Amino acid sequence: MTLPLILCLVATVIPVFFGKIGVAPTWLSLQALALGWISITRQSELSVHVLALGLEVLLVRAWLVPTLLRRALAGQSAARQDLMPSNLFAWGVAISLIILAFRFGDGARADVRALTLGVVAATVMIAFLILATNREPAAQLVGLLFMENALALFESLMPEPWPLPVHLAVSGVYILTVAVGSWLVRGHSPAPVAPSALKDMA
Amino acid sequence: MSALASPSSSILTASPDQVAPGTRWVAPALVAVALIVWLASMAVFITHPLAELPLYFAKRYLVLDATSLLFVVLVNTVFLGISVYILSREHSSAVLSHDILSRAGLMLTFMLIINLGVMSNHLILMWALIELSTLCAAPLVARGDAASPKSVAWRYMLYSAMTLSITFLGFMCLAQSAHLRGVDISFAVDQLGQALSTNSDGWQRLGLSFMLFGLGGKLGLAPLYSWMPETYEAAPTSTSALLAAVQFNISVVAVFRILQVFQGFESHFVSQELLLMGYLSLVVAAVQVMAVRNYKRLIAYACVSSSGVIALGLSVGKAAAYGVVLYIVSNAFVKSLLFLTAGRLRAVYGTNDVAPLSGVIRVMPFSGLLFTVGIFALLGFPPFASFLAEMMILSGIVQAGNLMAFTLMCVMLTVIFVATGRTVFPMLWGASRREGPPVHESWIAALPKLGFVFTLIMLGTYTPKPITELLIAVAQSIGG
Repeated sequence: MTLPLILCLVATVIPVFFGKIGVAPTWLSLQALALGWISITRQSELSVHVLALGLEVLLVRAWLVPTLLRRALAGQSAARQDLMPSNLFAWGVAISLIILAFRFGDGARADVRALTLGVVAATVMIAFLILATNREPAAQLVGLLFMENALALFESLMPEPWPLPVHLAVSGVYILTVAVGSWLVRGHSPAPVAPSALKDMA
Repeated sequence: MSALASPSSSILTASPDQVAPGTRWVAPALVAVALIVWLASMAVFITHPLAELPLYFAKRYLVLDATSLLFVVLVNTVFLGISVYILSREHSSAVLSHDILSRAGLMLTFMLIINLGVMSNHLILMWALIELSTLCAAPLVARGDAASPKSVAWRYMLYSAMTLSITFLGFMCLAQSAHLRGVDISFAVDQLGQALSTNSDGWQRLGLSFMLFGLGGKLGLAPLYSWMPETYEAAPTSTSALLAAVQFNISVVAVFRILQVFQGFESHFVSQELLLMGYLSLVVAAVQVMAVRNYKRLIAYACVSSSGVIALGLSVGKAAAYGVVLYIVSNAFVKSLLFLTAGRLRAVYGTNDVAPLSGVIRVMPFSGLLFTVGIFALLGFPPFASFLAEMMILSGIVQAGNLMAFTLMCVMLTVIFVATGRTVFPMLWGASRREGPPVHESWIAALPKLGFVFTLIMLGTYTPKPITELLIAVAQSIGG
């Protein structure tokens, strides 16, 4: 299970340092492929439930949502912008957060569980960093989707997969986030955020 | 910005009959559905004695206990009032009649999700349902007529996602805590307590603090409160009422569930965190109310202060629990009354600013009177339930020996009272600048507001025994 976890981490970290917003759907698909891989291989026996969950991850997270996001970003000037501002300060903060996340995961080399927790925490931290450093709504939407993928990965830490109703609700959140978010940010210039709001967000 | 971002002038000036032919059935159908659901919730309340609860159903994903029963009845009662308000406004608002179908659809979906969320017996399911309700509400917020309603709706959605992500981090910490102790964890409300430790545990504490901090943001508690005034001001008034009186309460239920699960665990830690957020919220609300010159924003800051009072009351625990539950119930009606009346003021004056409004009570006698009543209920005057509830909370704080909280709450509520009066009373009773006869107000527009006033007075003077028993049962479930 280490390989898909590393794939998931790479699909989170690389776009933050080198990726444009327009390429984010591809990275989201990669994250979802890793998630699907983990969902299917984590159980020793393949049950209908596990297969359904894996299929749902692949269909919704790897295909549907990235496609919707790609359509929403098509032709937008925001798509050519960096996902996170390219400067040494932001990069330094990002690297520190990733190291901190793996400390949170109790030492990534210890076992798969610790590595998973580290990847989840790193993805959440990176998502918060995107939200804090980029005022472009399209980038913030990508940050939200990163965060929700991290929450979905958290499921692999549970002794049993979440029941189907919980899964459906969490997938519903993911689909609606991209659907409503795309509608709201389409043709949306950077929002004039009130200073008080910025202070609270930070 | 797309056409939906701000209603075009042609829509604003067109007559409702010309704008949306064929959708006249929508508003009555919305009221009919709201009425059926309200009757069903009242029937459940009447036919299910508290002794028979809790009842689990849908494979134990949903539960009917005192908490879910109270809030199902509450949110559906408020929604009935809001739907009647929409029916009354549809005849006079071309914008509303233009998009009534999509609004009604979103509202019904929102209410379905809220009802499921209130009854949820699984914390992660409830978490997802709260987020889904936000995603349904965001397009409703985007229908407001502020300068850039889509930006406001986006920030509302962003804040909600952030606060709920913090809550989810709390779940993760709890899972880690259980794993390190070698215990299996389930997030079912009735089973989570078995995975908690009575010993001091850093992960468990971190989880608890994240959960309360995140949900505190959804309740509009400082420091994550700034989405609330902005959203409540920019959204259409029916949506503001829906957020303040319905969605607020699903977050309250989530906090109650956490308090129920953590009963006997980390109570001092919970108390300290709630106390801190309560102090901050009251101070922030008092300062902002002094500066605000916009009546919708004023109500929104009053919501922040109400959240602060709730947090202070919950921090005390046993002594103030009944007062807190009564305060939450009365607040749902006060907020709905104020926002729906503010909608009428906005329809006549075309602005949310206080300055152009003077002598409202002469121009709109009925709405002016209802707004006055709402403000008095908000400020905690007798004979309204909010007075009784505030007295109970203050008495509970004194009994708990927390004189600092008592003093701060008294001082801040006095500041809010003076600042609100200074802003609102000239608006209501000043010399009118409008000429001509008073504005005609239909009885159907007044009906839900009168119902809210009646309920507030009833809860503050004579509460029927079944309702008292239900409130006591909920208070006991959170440690009262």
